[in-house]
Amino acid sequence: MKRPISLTVNGRAETVLAEPRTHLAGLLREGLRLTGTHIGCEHGVCGACTVEVDGAPARACLLHAGAAEGASVRTVEGFDGDAVMTALREAFSAEHALQCGYCTPGMLVTARDIILRLPDADEARVREELAGNLCRCTGYRGIVRAILRVLAQRRG
Amino acid sequence: MTTASDRPSASEGVNRPHSHASKTGKGVGASLRRKEDARFLHGRGRYVGDIAVPGMLEVAFLRSPVAHARLLGVTKPAGAQDRVFLAADLPEIAPIRAVSALPGFRVSEQTALATGKVRHVGEAIAACLASSRAEAEDLAAACEPEFEVLPAISDMLTARAPGVPLIHEHWAENVFLETRREEDLSDLDAVAAAKVTRVLRTSRQSMAPIEGRGVLAEWDTRLEQLVVTTASQQPHVSKTGIAEALGLDEGQVRVIAPDVGGGFGYKAILLPEELVCCALAMRLQRPVRWLEDRLEQLTANANCREHHYIVTAWADREGRLLGCDVDATVDSGAYSSYPFSACLEAAQIGSIFPGPYILPRFRYHTLSACTNKPPILPYRGVARPGVCYAMETTLDALARQLGLSAEAIRAVNLVPKEAMPYRNLVGKHFDSGDYKEALRRAVALVDVPKVRARQAKGECVGVGLASFCEQGAHGTSVYHGWGMPMVPGFEQAQARFTPDGVLELRVGLHSHGQGLETTLAQVAHEILGVDPARVRLVHGDTALTPYSTGTWGSRAMVMAGGAVAEACRQLGERALTIGAALLQAERGEVELAGGTVRRRGGAGIALEEIARTWYRRPQNLPADVDRGGLDVTAGYRPDPDTGTHSYACHAVVARVDVETGAVTLEDYVVVEDGGVLVNPMIVDGQVLGGTAQGIGTALYEEMPYDAQGQPLAGTLADYLLPGATEVPDIRLDHMETPSPWTRFGQKGIGESGAIGPAGAILNAINDALAPLGAEVFDLPATPARVLAAIEAARR
Ligand code: FES
Ligand code: FES
Repeated sequence: MKRPISLTVNGRAETVLAEPRTHLAGLLREGLRLTGTHIGCEHGVCGACTVEVDGAPARACLLHAGAAEGASVRTVEGFDGDAVMTALREAFSAEHALQCGYCTPGMLVTARDIILRLPDADEARVREELAGNLCRCTGYRGIVRAILRVLAQRRG
Repeated sequence: MTTASDRPSASEGVNRPHSHASKTGKGVGASLRRKEDARFLHGRGRYVGDIAVPGMLEVAFLRSPVAHARLLGVTKPAGAQDRVFLAADLPEIAPIRAVSALPGFRVSEQTALATGKVRHVGEAIAACLASSRAEAEDLAAACEPEFEVLPAISDMLTARAPGVPLIHEHWAENVFLETRREEDLSDLDAVAAAKVTRVLRTSRQSMAPIEGRGVLAEWDTRLEQLVVTTASQQPHVSKTGIAEALGLDEGQVRVIAPDVGGGFGYKAILLPEELVCCALAMRLQRPVRWLEDRLEQLTANANCREHHYIVTAWADREGRLLGCDVDATVDSGAYSSYPFSACLEAAQIGSIFPGPYILPRFRYHTLSACTNKPPILPYRGVARPGVCYAMETTLDALARQLGLSAEAIRAVNLVPKEAMPYRNLVGKHFDSGDYKEALRRAVALVDVPKVRARQAKGECVGVGLASFCEQGAHGTSVYHGWGMPMVPGFEQAQARFTPDGVLELRVGLHSHGQGLETTLAQVAHEILGVDPARVRLVHGDTALTPYSTGTWGSRAMVMAGGAVAEACRQLGERALTIGAALLQAERGEVELAGGTVRRRGGAGIALEEIARTWYRRPQNLPADVDRGGLDVTAGYRPDPDTGTHSYACHAVVARVDVETGAVTLEDYVVVEDGGVLVNPMIVDGQVLGGTAQGIGTALYEEMPYDAQGQPLAGTLADYLLPGATEVPDIRLDHMETPSPWTRFGQKGIGESGAIGPAGAILNAINDALAPLGAEVFDLPATPARVLAAIEAARR
């Protein structure tokens, strides 16, 4: 049975009719047509579905829609005007940190969290922090360098 | 404008400059940032799963839980008769028959839904339709199939054992194809200074693009046309296959490949699921969508890389190869996939085994075994990663016997640059390159003396090398003999100015991460001087683009790059004629420069103005102007079309933990030569990504099957893809030997990275284990396999 689920998505209050067994990724993609959040495994390993839930990165495939009631969610579509995200986008392009682009939205949300939480992270730490986001195309070097580039910029 | 400071640093591996530098910083040779990045970085990419249309039905497939069985029947859930479809309900779909003209090839018939028998776990039996995937899955779970389970062929080496059941019952044995080259090598024992025989095995893998497959089929009642949106690397080939299987004219099928989230070969296939969705969309007059989930991908489609080799090699005192005897078996799975067939991989082992080396004598025998596993597909590098692994580890074994270094044995065997172009004993035709220099550089870049010093102190660390070459963009002359459903010919491209002067390019192959929107714009800029920002690429739609066999075989930049260059050259000619008329000059007095047509050394007229004139102010054109206008389709094929050969040397330092068996890659160097690089940054990305996949092949990725043919890794927690902590900061060094045969000297290099890692890494592991007398033979070198090797040596 579908039931209404109320939550805040990218700063807007939304009420979506969804099966409680749907996951948050499905609710965002099918219910709100926010297709920037991708689905790669639906069992919590690949990180393609990573979004921000109440300020921290979370896997949208592991959270039931019902459990997202009242949550504040930010997806890749919701970071326009965010200085860190703007810097990351620039760095991802400059460092060729994306090819097919499928892992990219999840990578960006994780990367932004790394930048804000670990301003002194070195390469090894960045790689550890990325362990929950798989990319099949790039071999990670560009992604790691892009994050290190933004960290360095912010350290001045 | 691209300035020095915002140039990417991505290509700064070992900091060797690229020699072919675009004069404007935007043409061939420029590391131009990608035009496609912006949409992906904002979540505005559009993949099949992002597209929903009103009235759409979702499909879930009931898939076989057993590997080999007679399918006695399926009871549909009560009340769902019209929402569950079996093979018998869709007789309009002809079976997929991917033939090969190679003598003795046995053709399989793969029905889109199982008919009579199931031949691998995950084979689709019924299509279940509902308004959501979850409800469709509920329907599938409520179906009751009935099986008479048969013994399964789970191990390719037992495929022709006496008494085994036949997978295709009208066949004489479970073999798609056997190929051989006979040569009597019996005299080599007497003359060789060294001889080794090795038995090697590689595991079955899943290509695992992060986006799965997906199809959305709709029937357009106005055009009487199927519109199939599908994650495909080769939309035109899919179109031909769909039209053939459904008995439609090709004009009645339009295939659209939107953004594709990684391919690697996984999406170069005509899918049974595509045919089912198409038939249902026509039958029901409703849009029908199927999106593959990870469970389906892992269990129904682990479909590549499973090889077995018995290699014997002889060498003289200096390590020069005297001959090789290779017996190779490839697990081809249950069916022959369209268009590449079930034998592409095994049958090419014979021709690629010599690799970059001079091999004077050679005997081989290859077998494409039919088993109860998913049908084989060619994964990045096709058979080369396995072949390179076999050859490179064999060379090291010879070197150990002879007391030679790994570098020395390669140096005496590599084809020298003076011999280029070189034709080897099985007819491979190498275009250009300095293979020994790549080896020399790779060895110089890893600190071998330091590794030796650490070994002397008892550290379990080793260094490993792999040299190889990659044939790319090989065309008609190579493929016609295979007699597959598809033979690449002339690649076509369309170039046209729109009335506002924007240059529009149309090509029939497709990008699945390679950045063709950028690189083909760079090619156009090189020829016409139009700013890449004013170039639009249209691709991924058969209704809008000229025919192409698609993006595979490292062919896109050679073939589409050549075709776009030629189309732009001809378009430039047209613009020159119009420009000359407008300038009241003779045709011979004008030239193209900086996006204008100008009198030599004089004033110019912008291409925009020429386009505006042609379309909107025709009154200003002379009556005798070329009536073809500003719209050109041109075809291209390199001459000869036997393929370019990029090449590389990978060098690895690996540390082995003898207590846990864990392997750490401490250093990874790739020296490669892809000829002239259209966009070095993008080539680096291809090499890095391929190398990461090869690291997966070497150390992590494995789909194990039990004796009943059950796949044992159903999640990405069981099937391990390399993550950011498993892939080291790979260092790249470039060489640039132009191919004499291609438009700009470019070579196909998209698959290269994936070829070398298994050989180089296993050589490093075995170098580390040598003091223990241990050696790992099978891939991937998991901790369990490494520990078993150490244990075996202790006993
Ligand atoms: S889709 Fe959520 S982690 Fe893979
Ligand atoms: S860019 Fe393709 S998966 Fe990361």
